[in-house]
Amino acid sequence: MTTAPASVTPVDSDSGAVEACGRRPLLFMTGSAIAWLVASGVFSLIAGIQLHAPGFMADCPIFTHGRVQALAETSFVYGWLANAGLALVLWILARLGGEPLRAASWIGAGAFFWNLGVTLGLVGIAFGEGTAIPLLQFPLAVQPLLLVSYGAIAVGGVLAWTGRRRVVMYASHWYGVAALFLFPWLFSIAQVMLLWFPVRGTLQAVVAGWYEQGIWTLWLAPLALAAAYYVVPKARGAVLGSYDFASLGFWCLLFVGAWTGGRHLIGGPVPAWISTIAIVAASTLLFHYAIVWINLRGAGCAGGPALKFIGFGLFAYVLGGLGDALSAVRGISEVTQFTHFDQAQHQLAFTGAISMMLIGSVYYALPRLTGRAWAYGGLVRAHLALTALGVLVLVAALAAAGIVQGRDLMQPSVAFAKIGSDTAPWLLLASAAQAVLLLGNVLLLVNFFKSALCPFYAAAAASIRRPAALEARAS
Amino acid sequence: MKNGALLFLGLFAALGVSWAGIVLGSSRQFGALAPFYDGGSDQSFPAGMPGAAARGQLVYRDLNCASCHTQQVRRPGYGDDQARGWGARQSVARDYIYQPFVQLGDSRIGPDLANFSARAPSAPDAAIIYSLLYNGRGSMPAYQFLFETQKISGEVSSHALQSSAGIQAPAGYEVVPTERAEALVAYLLSLSSPFDYPESVPAAPPKDEKAPAAASGAQAAAPAKPAETKK
Repeated sequence: MTTAPASVTPVDSDSGAVEACGRRPLLFMTGSAIAWLVASGVFSLIAGIQLHAPGFMADCPIFTHGRVQALAETSFVYGWLANAGLALVLWILARLGGEPLRAASWIGAGAFFWNLGVTLGLVGIAFGEGTAIPLLQFPLAVQPLLLVSYGAIAVGGVLAWTGRRRVVMYASHWYGVAALFLFPWLFSIAQVMLLWFPVRGTLQAVVAGWYEQGIWTLWLAPLALAAAYYVVPKARGAVLGSYDFASLGFWCLLFVGAWTGGRHLIGGPVPAWISTIAIVAASTLLFHYAIVWINLRGAGCAGGPALKFIGFGLFAYVLGGLGDALSAVRGISEVTQFTHFDQAQHQLAFTGAISMMLIGSVYYALPRLTGRAWAYGGLVRAHLALTALGVLVLVAALAAAGIVQGRDLMQPSVAFAKIGSDTAPWLLLASAAQAVLLLGNVLLLVNFFKSALCPFYAAAAASIRRPAALEARAS
Repeated sequence: MKNGALLFLGLFAALGVSWAGIVLGSSRQFGALAPFYDGGSDQSFPAGMPGAAARGQLVYRDLNCASCHTQQVRRPGYGDDQARGWGARQSVARDYIYQPFVQLGDSRIGPDLANFSARAPSAPDAAIIYSLLYNGRGSMPAYQFLFETQKISGEVSSHALQSSAGIQAPAGYEVVPTERAEALVAYLLSLSSPFDYPESVPAAPPKDEKAPAAASGAQAAAPAKPAETKK
C-alpha cells in the first residue's frame, strides 16, 4: 500500500482534475449500463406478460418464458448493475484517493470486453446455451472472458485504492474494495464447481445458493453502499450520523451475509443445517441493516432527486432485509416458498434497493464526470416519480400474487388453472408496473444521450466553477 | 480503519469462511453420497439416468423449465405436496446423485416434477406429455417449436403423434416430435423416486412426546442407518 504524507493538499475533487483521465471509459460504462437497463426492462416486461398471458410470444423458442426470464435477470445484473456500480466505484475511489484515475486504458478495454461478453452471453442464453442457474445463466464459453475483463476493469480501482493520498479509508473504500475483490473469487469458484467440474447431486444447489446470495451480499450490496456512503454526505454537505458504527455494519455484512444462501433451500433435499444456519444468519444480518439505516437515515428527506433516489433505495434495502429475515422463518416460508412472493422480494432488493441507489448516484456523478449539468431537469423528476411508483406497485402486486398463489397451493383441491386465474389480476398489475419502470428508464437513456454525448453546452465552463450548479435541480 | 492489508485479509477470510462452512462442509457431509443397495430386490437405487433422458435434461435446462417447475417434493406436514400427488415421500439428496445438472427450481407456477412419471393417482404416459407440450394447458403455453408438421408421403411416420392425444394435424399432414421433444419426454418419464430410502421415511408427527428432536441432515451421510428424517 502506498502511503503519501498527509500534508499533501488533495486535488479539489470537484475541479474535474480527478476525472480527466478516466472520463471516457467511465462514460462508456455508464452509457452501456443505462442501455442494458432499458434492454432488461423490455425482457422483464415480456416475461411479466407471459405470466398472465402464457401464449405471448411463446411460439418462438428465443422468447420461451424460461429464457426471457434468464435474459432479463442477466442483463439487469451483469449489464446494468455491474457496469454502473463499477463505474461509480472507480470514480469514487479515484476521488477519495485524490489522484487522477490510473490504468484508464485497462478500464476501457476491460469495459469493452465485459460488454461484449454480456452481449455474447445473452445471445447464448437466447439460443439455448444458458445454464439455468440463477444469476449464473451465462453460457460456459463466455464466462472466462467476463472474468478476465472484470479483472482489467478492477485494476484501475485497486490502483486508486492503493495509491490514495491519505492513509485513512472511508466506508466507501471498504465497500468498494470489497466489491472489486470478492466478485472474481465468487464467480470463479461457482464456475469451477458448477460448470467446469460440476459437484455431485444436490450439492450443486448448495453451491448455487451460496453463490446467489454471495452475489447479493458480497458484490451488489457493497457496490451500491459504496456509492451511497460517498454521495449522501457529499450531497447533503453533512457528516454521517453515528459513523463509528459503520465498520461494524460492514464486517457484519461480509461475515454473515454469505451464510444466508441456504434460505432458498428450506425444506429441500439438502441437510437441514444449511437452511437453519441461513435462518439464523438472516436474523443476524438485521444488525447490518440497522447500522446502514442509522448512518444514512434521512438521505431522501432533503436535497435533489439524486438523494431522493438513494433515500428510496435505502428504505427498500432495509425493508428487504427485514423481509428476508421474516420469510426465512419456516412457518412463513411454507406458504411463500416457490411463489411470486419470492419474486417480490427479489424485485424489492434488486430494482428497489440496489438499482435505485445506483441511479441516484449516477445522477450525482455524471455531471461531475462530464462537467455538464443534466440536460433536462424535468426528465429527472419524471424518472424519479415513475420509478418510485413502478417499484412500489411491482413489489406490492407480486407480493399479493404470491400470497394468493401460496394459499391456493396449500389447498390440494385448487387446480393449477384456478391458481393461474386467481393470480392473473395481480400479475397484470405487475406487468403494468414493469411498463412504467421501462418508461422511466427510457427517460434516463434520453437524458444521458443529451447530457453526456451531445456537444458542449454553453454553461459548461461556468458550471465547472460553480459545483452547486451541477446538481439535477428539482425545478 | 487505515490498514489496507488488514482489509484485504478480512475480505479473503469472510469469503473463505463462508465457502469452507457451507460448500466444503456440505461436500464433506454428502458430496460422495453412494447409491443404496436393497438386498430384497438385489438392486441399487437410484438407477442411473438413461442416455436419452440425460439428453432430455439438457433440453429441460436450455428452455429453463426450472423457472416454472420445481423438482423437490417437500416433507409431509410442510406444504401439501403429498396431497397433490407429487410424491408419497419427500425428496432426499440421494435421489439426485446421478443427475448431471440438478434442476431443483425455485418457482411453482406449474406443478412439481420430481416424481412426475410415478405421480398418483394417474401417472402420465408419453402421449399425454406430447399433448401437453403441443397444446399447452392453463399457465403452460404450447411449445409447438418442439414439433414438426409435415406432409404425409407414403406411409405415416412411425413417430407421428396420434390425433387421439388431442393433436390435430391438417388433412394429409402429420405432427412429428423433433428429436429434442423425444429426449425431453424421455427425461420427464425418467423422473420418479421409486424407492424409500431410510432417510426419506417421514418423521412421526410430533404427537409422540418422546420423539427426539431430529438431528437432521447428518443422516444423509449415514445411508444404512435406520430412519430418522431430515427436517
